[in-house]
Amino acid sequence: MTMLDWAYWITQFFLALGALCAVYRVYKGPSVLDRVISVDVILIIVGSVMLVDMAYHRHTDFILFVVVTAVIGFLGAVAIARYVVVRTPESEDTVRQAEAQAAALSGGAADEPEIPAGQSPAGSAQEDESTSWFAALARSGFAPKRKNDAEHDAAAEADSAGSTSEPGIPHPRRDTSEGGSA
Amino acid sequence: MTLDTFLDGTAAVFMVVGGLMSLAAGIGLLRFPDLHSRMHAATKPQVLGLLMLVLAAAIMWRSWAWVPIAILAWGLMLLTAPVSAHVVGRAGYRTKHMRADLLADDELAAAVDRLSRQRGIRREVKD
Repeated sequence: MTMLDWAYWITQFFLALGALCAVYRVYKGPSVLDRVISVDVILIIVGSVMLVDMAYHRHTDFILFVVVTAVIGFLGAVAIARYVVVRTPESEDTVRQAEAQAAALSGGAADEPEIPAGQSPAGSAQEDESTSWFAALARSGFAPKRKNDAEHDAAAEADSAGSTSEPGIPHPRRDTSEGGSA
Repeated sequence: MTLDTFLDGTAAVFMVVGGLMSLAAGIGLLRFPDLHSRMHAATKPQVLGLLMLVLAAAIMWRSWAWVPIAILAWGLMLLTAPVSAHVVGRAGYRTKHMRADLLADDELAAAVDRLSRQRGIRREVKD
């Protein structure tokens, strides 16, 4: 084996190891953003494998894929990053409580996990990590309402500043939204 | 030592360095504690690793015909990597996907705090 053969196989081994680590992060990653950057890395590693293969075998068959790779990962990251849910301290607390309860259930069922006052014991006992986001969502109220309120404020200011074409429209909406939050 | 073996050796070194960048990205993704440090690791193969592999391929091809395409691939990656990193990092900061206790200095916190106290300034970008 010449020096180039050694370099080829060592590089492919490194790339495969890096791809395996990225796949593990995609599987394990706590948030969708971790998965996005890991998928990005996997895509680049696939392009790198093709580049190394092109360099070793002296052909140019895959160069278009390498060009397209630069655009694909960018589009995916930008598209997904728009829709990330805010990680609130409340949901973190519920996840931590669910983990503590799961540990208590798996370890020893003798000691009862302490249940906060705000939660019903029947609902929180069955709460696991995969569904706790829904319980947190139901408990915290409707989160996207804040943005709607800001838009309604802007609409109301625009209406009050300009000629009020339909002054009755924004205020009932705000009343209903505030009634919903109360 | 002829020119061919010299070029082959150079390409081999570039190849291994490019592979090491991807390996570093994988280990960094595996070991680092929060989103922004993982992003720091994940950008290694995007710029330097891809540059090394593109150079290795261009050296091995021994022709100038495909070099513009290879430079285009690397340039596209160089242009789009900061954009995706900015968007992901901003979304991670705004949605609190980070360990604030690991930060040495949070310069963005002062700006966000000042903007959130002013009335009439939208904290979110208008759609």
